[in-house]
Amino acid sequence: MREVLSALVVHDIKNSLALLEMDLEQLNHHQDVPIEGRKAYKRCIELKNRLVNFLTLYKHDQSGLKPNIREIELSDFLEDMISASQSVMMSSRHGHAIAVRVADSRISIAPNVKLKGVANLDDYLVDMALESALNNAIRYARSSVEIWFEQRAGSLSFFVLDDGPGVTLVENVEQRTTSDNASSTGLGLALCNAVVEAHGSGNVALTNTSGGALFALEFQYTE
Amino acid sequence: MIGRLNTKSDISDLEAILNGNKKAIENEYIQFGKLSALVIDDISAMRHAISSQLQAMGMNLINTASDAEGALKRIESNSYDLILCDYNLNRASSGQHFLEYLRLEKLLSAKTIFVMVTAEAEYAYVANAAEFGPDDYILKPCPEKKLRSRLERLFDRRTFLMPVINAIDTLQYELAVSECDSLIAKQPDERWLMHVLRLKAEAQLALHDTENVLHTYAQAVSIRDAVPWVAMGIARTHFLLKDLPAAEQSAKDIIAKNPNYVAAYELLAQIKLGQKDHEGALHMLHASSKILPSAKRFRSLSESAFLLGRLDEAKQYAESAIRLSSGSMVERSDDYLSLAQIQTDLGDHRSAILTLEKSARKYEETGVYGVAKNAILAQAYFDSGDMDKARKLIGSAQRLVTDKTESSALTALGKVAIKTGDLILGFKLLTRAVQSGGKDKEHIARHVTKAMKDCGQNDKIDDVIDAGQRRILDLVEEATKAMRVAQFTLAFQKVLEALAIHDENIEALLAAAQLHLLWLKQDGMDKVVAERAKDYLATLDRLVPKNEKVMGFYRFFNELTGV
Repeated sequence: MREVLSALVVHDIKNSLALLEMDLEQLNHHQDVPIEGRKAYKRCIELKNRLVNFLTLYKHDQSGLKPNIREIELSDFLEDMISASQSVMMSSRHGHAIAVRVADSRISIAPNVKLKGVANLDDYLVDMALESALNNAIRYARSSVEIWFEQRAGSLSFFVLDDGPGVTLVENVEQRTTSDNASSTGLGLALCNAVVEAHGSGNVALTNTSGGALFALEFQYTE
Repeated sequence: MIGRLNTKSDISDLEAILNGNKKAIENEYIQFGKLSALVIDDISAMRHAISSQLQAMGMNLINTASDAEGALKRIESNSYDLILCDYNLNRASSGQHFLEYLRLEKLLSAKTIFVMVTAEAEYAYVANAAEFGPDDYILKPCPEKKLRSRLERLFDRRTFLMPVINAIDTLQYELAVSECDSLIAKQPDERWLMHVLRLKAEAQLALHDTENVLHTYAQAVSIRDAVPWVAMGIARTHFLLKDLPAAEQSAKDIIAKNPNYVAAYELLAQIKLGQKDHEGALHMLHASSKILPSAKRFRSLSESAFLLGRLDEAKQYAESAIRLSSGSMVERSDDYLSLAQIQTDLGDHRSAILTLEKSARKYEETGVYGVAKNAILAQAYFDSGDMDKARKLIGSAQRLVTDKTESSALTALGKVAIKTGDLILGFKLLTRAVQSGGKDKEHIARHVTKAMKDCGQNDKIDDVIDAGQRRILDLVEEATKAMRVAQFTLAFQKVLEALAIHDENIEALLAAAQLHLLWLKQDGMDKVVAERAKDYLATLDRLVPKNEKVMGFYRFFNELTGV
């Protein structure tokens, strides 16, 4: 009974937050909205995302995530993801806008891939994982973040590259992706791992490149 | 290259939203101001929030409805560009039930984009609903930007495909195919091309043009291998070509790769029926209902189990069908009739009476329902030993029988007549049930056979089935012979005699249509003959939609009349 009640309360809060977010979203269309209105909107988004991520992880721990697979056009998916991303909408920690784009020139598809540019994925879960990675990248980026995919026979990887300081010695992967910074959705790495696990197998990695930090989300499957 | 018509907003647009610059989100290419939408949600705050999101995109023509009934009224009097429907409408109806109803009743224009709004827990039900699936589904909560991206993409696609959609909407499948070819000639990019090929295949399947549809699928496979709808189309084409082993293999391959692809299980069930493997068909229907439970699936399952004599299972499924549809617009009176028949056959006449009394509070005692309800009730009272009541009910059922009474009601009434000892009436009614034949000939024969076995009349089964079909078939045969020697008036007489026995018998109607086409060909254009030919074809199209033979007749008719 306690569990049922908790679930009801949490979902009620989630739905109420979503409605509040939609109201604040409309309020922010007005020219004369005060700065507090914009802040409230951002906070509401952060809070809702944190709750949704937490609930997803909780479900993963309790019963495992069951992905709802559908055919995804990968380029469209990434374009939509960026254009609708709430992380992109929120300003970076430096207080200026970060240019986020799909790096078309980095997209690569191996010739032996059967479904070229298309994958069978749970777009909701993958969007959530990438949104979390994007959120981190934007916080650490100097001016730009690039996102793209690489498709090989039997694997699909998404990459998020920022031009920030990279993963430093003091700031390891764990810290970077689970920061309790107010603008972080937190729980990032665990969430990404859960999403990969839900799809079967794969890897999540955050590495240094010459230009910044490179996040990789890899899904492995049999074609 | 033809591709997306709009470019995606960049970060400055997004910042602009936060800065309150509404202009930044007004799309340059998709004129949302000219589009109309219907928002269906039982929660008023959500209806308001989604409507506000659409308004912010520039839409002005927005209606709302709080339930399926209200939405239906709106849809019947308006043509919407977009319907955003919450999955969880209320206790009785889901958005999926509603969409299934709209598609079955052909109330949705191909131009209308139907988007299901679902919570995470309901997502799988929508995602697996291949046959009656929405154009897209979004998970709530959905921020405006995300909703906007989805809608832009859907409207982009609709704009590009509009000439084909218009042709399909007006059932001009040949035109649809040629419009597809025009779009293909423009060399669209791969993803658009796949959409065009999908519609082209759909139009070719509607025309039963099995040869060319296989070419279309081959073209799709050459672009993208292993796409489920292509594999499904190939399997369906094999089935239409009556190549059951190939159809079975294709459907099994789909399931091996996509174990939740409901449509493949349902096709396999049809294939198994074609192979007379009724157990196998039941097994496949069971698998599909596990993935995507719906009243329609439980209804089919219950009937399959009933015909196999597995009454306990049949009862469970019939109860599930009622549970899932009760109070919704997909609720059907025959679910109660089926359950009551099963309960009667199980010897539980008390429950059968209760089921029928419950149904009587919902439905008027007329037509098929009236006949079948009284007939099954008569069976239940007969089994309880109340012979007088049973006889009265048989009388009531008989008074409701008309020329239009369907085979299911005739079978129920025939069964109780035999049970009560009136073999002549029983056999007459069952013979009539078989005569109504047509597309469900095999199916009806199975029901009649079961009814006769239940009454211990095994030795008379062949007589009834043969007699039912023989009279009409004899007349059709005579008409065909007369046609061959150009005795059209005589042939017409025979056809009319066959149709007088049952005016919706498919064999008789096919003969009537063929006769009139030959008549037109031989004697030239005659308005009266042409009008009759058109009427017969329209009746056939209603009874056996998209039938290959009927489509062929239509093409011949168009050639002859120059339409």
